[in-house]
Amino acid sequence: MYVQRVECRLFRCLENVIFEPEPALNIIRGGNAQGKTSLLEAVLFAATSKSHRTNVESELPQYGADQFQLRLRAQRDTGAVDIESRWFRGTKRIKVNGVPQTRLSDLLGRVNVVFFSPEDVDLVRGGAAQRRRFLDMAISQVQPPYLAALQMYRQALRQRNELLRAAQPDHDHIAVWDAQLAQYGAVMTAQRAAFIAALSDHAARAYTQIAGAEPLALEYAPDVRMDESLAAVLERSRTSDIKRRVTQRGPHRDDFAVLVDARPARSHASQGQQKSAALAIKLAELALARERVGEYPVLMLDEVLAELDAQRARRLLDAIDPQVQCLMTTTELEDRHGFRDAGSALFRIERGRLEKD
Amino acid sequence: MLFSAPSVERLVEAFRRLPGIGKRTAERLALHLLSAPEEEAQLLSEAVLEARARVRQCSVCCNLTETDPCPVCADDRRDAATICVVERPAGAMAIEKGGAYRGRYHVLHGALSPIEGIGPSELRIDRLMRRLEEDAVREVILATNATAEGEVTATYLSQKIAALGIAVTRIAHGVPMGGGLEFADDATLAHAIEGRTPVR
Repeated sequence: MYVQRVECRLFRCLENVIFEPEPALNIIRGGNAQGKTSLLEAVLFAATSKSHRTNVESELPQYGADQFQLRLRAQRDTGAVDIESRWFRGTKRIKVNGVPQTRLSDLLGRVNVVFFSPEDVDLVRGGAAQRRRFLDMAISQVQPPYLAALQMYRQALRQRNELLRAAQPDHDHIAVWDAQLAQYGAVMTAQRAAFIAALSDHAARAYTQIAGAEPLALEYAPDVRMDESLAAVLERSRTSDIKRRVTQRGPHRDDFAVLVDARPARSHASQGQQKSAALAIKLAELALARERVGEYPVLMLDEVLAELDAQRARRLLDAIDPQVQCLMTTTELEDRHGFRDAGSALFRIERGRLEKD
Repeated sequence: MLFSAPSVERLVEAFRRLPGIGKRTAERLALHLLSAPEEEAQLLSEAVLEARARVRQCSVCCNLTETDPCPVCADDRRDAATICVVERPAGAMAIEKGGAYRGRYHVLHGALSPIEGIGPSELRIDRLMRRLEEDAVREVILATNATAEGEVTATYLSQKIAALGIAVTRIAHGVPMGGGLEFADDATLAHAIEGRTPVR
């Protein structure tokens, strides 16, 4: 699938921008703070209703504005998809093909995207919460029942934690929330295990292509082992949970290990290896989404070239299937990688104004 | 508001406390009542007060009713051995409209939700258990909502009721009648596939 046209109004520094990328490689060039990342963020937000930079939506309108609008038109094998996202003083309204959508699950998966920005190295270097966030978003985009289970699990977790804070928690009442957590937790654990196993194979391949010889592997590290019963674990930890007033065990504490050369990349890999590993995970997400959905998502790479030497940049570009629509930003104004000769579309952005070169 | 009048503001506030009413709608309703003939306002206020005065909870099923016991509990033709448990009167009303159900109801007036401070003792669970002990009930159908809170309430009740040796069933999740599959949301469809039944 590919993005045909994006209209941004009052989104970040993009007052009124129309972006019409080509179906293959698109390079968006511009200096710092000119609006490159915002353009990718606009595509991400239209497709997923989320930003990679902030959870505070009131930061998204142009400075001084109280609203923004995005409109994204994409082509899939099955036809065109038109997403309209309007934000006005804290209220968001989303339409897909002209029909208002009330639930996130109705939006996700309409236009699949994979986004990589320099901060995504935290997938390897950062804490477990970042890896869980990645997993939840990636699986939700391709497996809608996962999102339903996740939302039920989160609600049950909030309720159970509230109950743990009560003056005299009622054990029978806690037990039924345990059953609820166990039911949806089992769905999450099974889907996460399957997803990570598949992701690991693709990531290993991508890593070899972009970085080199050392093997990369991803290993699921569930907080509660899959051969254990979550219900039993919750029951055993109940007294301690009541004392600490929080649910200490369950998929909300899951993680996965990123291993380079069989050692945890978080502590044992070089910065370059960590970056390549993060990028390989994202490329794996792309390949996996294609297997599950039947066509490639749109790939967005924010500022990846600057951090790679010419040889690695070349290897990265070779690793991306020509069938993938890629939106890539760079601060390099001269075309040292020869994109123009390779037939890529070149854009230039300056102070929020976009021009095709 | 174009003008400031404490009585009008109080009316707007009163409307805003109602479920599903936002600021704009509240203002529209208030202004409508003020510009319409006075009888209309009179009619509304009397209707509200009269309904409030006449309607109470049925001493058997806890549904809202003008007579006690309510018409459903008083109707001998209805199957007293089957009780359908719902969260709110609206749930009973919805099932009643379907017309297929010939048993009795029990209204909990909510679902378990620690966040809202609702535990088992805030719901009409004791009344339900008393009914099950006193009457000859064969089946309890749990028709709480398909939310985390509704599911948990169903689990809680099923455990309590199972101890009495009464059959407990949960309503099915499924595809709307007369609708194409493509119009059902993904989670509902996934449930419908999981809960499929053999063709008879």
